Amino acid sequence: MRGPLATLARRALWNPRVLAGLTILTGLVFCAAFAPWLAPHDPNRQDLIMMLLPPAWDAAGDPAFPLGTDGLGRCILSRLIYGTRIALYVAVAAASGAMVLGTVIALIAGYMGGWVDWLVGRLVDTWMSFPPVILALILLVGLGAGVEKVILAIIVVDWTRFARVIRSEVLVIRRRDYIDAARLAGFSHFRVVLREVFPGVLPLLITLFSLEMGIAVIVEATMSFVGLSVGASTVAWGVMISDARQYMNQTPWGVVLPILGIFVTVLSFNLLGDGLRRALDPRLQRRSVAP
Amino acid sequence: MLSVALQILFRRLLLAVPTLLAVSVLVFIVLRLLPADPVAMSLPPGATLADHERLRIEMGFDRSVVAQYGLWLQALLTGDFGTSIYFRRPVADLVRTALPNSIELVAAGLVLGVGLGMIGGLAMFALRATPGETAIDLASSAMMSIPEFLWALLLILTLGVALQWLPFFGRMAPGMTMPPPVTGFLLIDTLLAGRLDQFRSVLFHLLLPAIALAIALAPLIMRILRSSLLETLNEDYVAQARLRGVPERTILMRHALRNAALPTISLIGVQAGFMFGGTILVEVICGYPGLGNLIVDAVRNHDLPVIQVVALVYCVMVLFINAFVEVLYLVVNPRLRAA
Repeated sequence: MRGPLATLARRALWNPRVLAGLTILTGLVFCAAFAPWLAPHDPNRQDLIMMLLPPAWDAAGDPAFPLGTDGLGRCILSRLIYGTRIALYVAVAAASGAMVLGTVIALIAGYMGGWVDWLVGRLVDTWMSFPPVILALILLVGLGAGVEKVILAIIVVDWTRFARVIRSEVLVIRRRDYIDAARLAGFSHFRVVLREVFPGVLPLLITLFSLEMGIAVIVEATMSFVGLSVGASTVAWGVMISDARQYMNQTPWGVVLPILGIFVTVLSFNLLGDGLRRALDPRLQRRSVAP
Repeated sequence: MLSVALQILFRRLLLAVPTLLAVSVLVFIVLRLLPADPVAMSLPPGATLADHERLRIEMGFDRSVVAQYGLWLQALLTGDFGTSIYFRRPVADLVRTALPNSIELVAAGLVLGVGLGMIGGLAMFALRATPGETAIDLASSAMMSIPEFLWALLLILTLGVALQWLPFFGRMAPGMTMPPPVTGFLLIDTLLAGRLDQFRSVLFHLLLPAIALAIALAPLIMRILRSSLLETLNEDYVAQARLRGVPERTILMRHALRNAALPTISLIGVQAGFMFGGTILVEVICGYPGLGNLIVDAVRNHDLPVIQVVALVYCVMVLFINAFVEVLYLVVNPRLRAA
């Protein structure tokens, strides 16, 4: 592979943070994809004789349930493995949606300037004066509970994260000479935005996307903790935490293990985003790699 | 100086009024999408259809959304915040008791978070280009990867249940009577009442949720402080000071830290919304009687009057902190002061 994009990709892959993030993420995707084969039990099967078992390494544990059972005797390991599905699904869907919406608005506002830019600026200000959780809660009260509603709420709340950053980047790029050159060469506005402006914001976009996936995982966990996300038969880490909270004094594992799941997932997205930012942002490069 | 600052604060708050109006319209419209019937929920069991119709008219749900909004806004401006459907108490009363608790929590979280962040940032700076810096950096990544409310749960398990160092539920020890409400802030009211035992209890109940908030805030402060310290040390005036033989410690304290204060202050402004957002579930988990507990209860019970007002109160606080931070920025930054 040659060309500037290949150089960027190679540089990114050499970053230890990016490597670590990608490795963890591959493991999580593997868990989600092969959950039925990896999980020792049906995640919803209740075994009321086997309630609140500690993990297998504890003397009171049962090897059939490697990480123990919850208050209804369901296998915690199986539920953790199935939980990756919801987490990754929401991460990808919500972050993609927020990215597309935010970027389109930012490109239009930044490129056109004038009253469009002013209007978008006020809109972003209004949005940002809401604590994001409050806005998401209100939206979910209006829309009703459900994973799809949570995804929609994240998109509606978090597009501003993309819009704000990308817009200011577009403002800088728009003043570059090559944009004028492209216009003079007779390119349409649409083509200029797509072929000249968009590639300029791409590195930033990838970084933001990665961080947003982590945020989406947290929001989904928050909403399923409150009971506004998945239905009763779907496994989500937030629901596991909320269920296990009442038994917290007897066994901490039901709370700690799903928190660990959320932690590992969000950490992988954060490491990836952080590493990509360091690798892709030219301002953070001490010395240019290209000759 | 002070009058200029107040003027700017006033102007900023004035500018916030259209934003608040926009927010209130947004909240109002979204809540009208509600699939549940708030009228039916506020009726006692065994109510007749006629009761339902009477209450529907009484609550204003028979009018258009625009008219409902107008009525609500008019009442709000005259100080009538409505009545909670679920708690059956005036919303203003509910907010008046909950708001000071939340402000105390955010303030404590902010103080602890900034303190922890400054220690971490200075440590990272002192250990720059050593494995120590990487270790702290990775630790801060880890701190950021767990949301506040889950930190609260982990703290309850460790500091609360296992070590029994801190109480983790409620606002004060059970059995204690509330001090006479003077300011509404329990930390102040217990002192005014001269009850040191109560003050201790209130302070200790505040600590665990505040630490959870601080852990989420500190990494951001740490990172921004570290990078602005590094940036400042490349400035010419620092080189000058070094040439003059000013000790490194004095340079750090007198020049670098003071300049690093600016980005840190503006970060706090940007993070205000997230801080308040973070308190919501932390309050729920710690059974802390603040706005967060109030709005989650209201959400679970489709208590529209409460949701509307509490959402607005949160926005007012975020806007207020933003305005305050902007003024503080101006006061601290000498470059902007002359203008």
